[in-house]
Amino acid sequence: MTDARGQRAFVHYVVLPLVLMTVALLGGLRVAADRGFLFVTPPLVTLVLAGLLMALFVRGGLVRPAAWVRGDRPLLSNLAHILTLGALFAASVQAFNSVLPEEGLLHWLFSFFFLWTLWNNQFSPFDPARLLRSLAVLFGTAFALKHMLLAGLRPAESGWMGRVAAALLQGVSLGTLDVPAFAPATGYISFFTVVLYVGGLMLVPAAPGGDEVRRLARAYLSLGPDERARLREAIEDDDDAGPEDAARTRRRLPG
Amino acid sequence: MRESLFQGLGIVSTLAYGALIAWLYATAPRSLGEVATGARVAAGTYQVDQARFDAGLRLFRAEQFRAARDEWGRADPAQRDARTQFYIAYAFYREGWGRVYKDDALYRQGTLAVNRAIALHPAAPLAVADPTLRMRTAAELKAELEKGAERRWDDLNPLKLLDPRK
Repeated sequence: MTDARGQRAFVHYVVLPLVLMTVALLGGLRVAADRGFLFVTPPLVTLVLAGLLMALFVRGGLVRPAAWVRGDRPLLSNLAHILTLGALFAASVQAFNSVLPEEGLLHWLFSFFFLWTLWNNQFSPFDPARLLRSLAVLFGTAFALKHMLLAGLRPAESGWMGRVAAALLQGVSLGTLDVPAFAPATGYISFFTVVLYVGGLMLVPAAPGGDEVRRLARAYLSLGPDERARLREAIEDDDDAGPEDAARTRRRLPG
Repeated sequence: MRESLFQGLGIVSTLAYGALIAWLYATAPRSLGEVATGARVAAGTYQVDQARFDAGLRLFRAEQFRAARDEWGRADPAQRDARTQFYIAYAFYREGWGRVYKDDALYRQGTLAVNRAIALHPAAPLAVADPTLRMRTAAELKAELEKGAERRWDDLNPLKLLDPRK
């Protein structure tokens, strides 16, 4: 195995699941006003949202399940891929958990906003890059609304204008827009979680092993017409040849 | 070969990390100290801080019940020791006991503590060999705490003023 291929395998099989599991750990972590940890288990709606998001990953080509788990792969490889897909689902659940308000009317408003967006996206044409940009914006918006706008409306922590705005909001909404008070560290943890999640999505290969194929295709395209013809001949020869002939063919190839 | 190694490493680390996350969400520790205590409990190496327990016992015998509970709380932060939980319940009982009035809130907290003690000692009835106590089993203490927290017509019986503190 070459160094580059080894590094790719390390990132794919070790780093990527650990990044996704870290998102799964931090997504439900809040820091209470007394600086104690609070582990918020994901509400049911986040499972539905993550399910829709996984469907979107498949539709958008970010993940091709048939290339991840195949009958002709070794058991270890399939198991590693199934666990990575599981970690991706868990990370998605917790990423939603991190940016959704914990309770009240706002929780349902945000959930509806996510459901509506994800449902509409199921019927939109997406490529992986566009899907990633769209998700970064979606999570970024929810993060800003929850941890910057709503957190700023907490009466005890803001100035007199904030207090007036919070009192008006509470009065108009009859208390249904109540936001639990957390320490500012919660916002930092959530920001790190969202960034890590989007970063993790960038590491997810559509089809494991596809990078090698793309690299070979690029190498083929960089050859001149004569070299391409020789390569094609060599591949055709290889189809009928045994291992010794194949080794001889490789020696004939340029580079 | 190296790819298989990375796959194996990835599988093991993902499963271990997943188990850690499940444990953290199940036990919900409030601080890093509680995480460390929980890890000791999970590993079976957890022990009560004996010096703090003894300090709590001295305070208890000097009728400093709140201070005693505080020490015992530090001696057994994971609330995993039946004997310590029994003494905490006893401290709630003694603090809540009054000749004409029993503090329901303290008695209820005492009931919770004695229930924890009983749950931690399921194999046999919990008994504490302390000659300075008049109730030496968790069952007696629990019955006394529950009786004290109930409101009955019998509470108006003037002879109850003669009941001793146990």
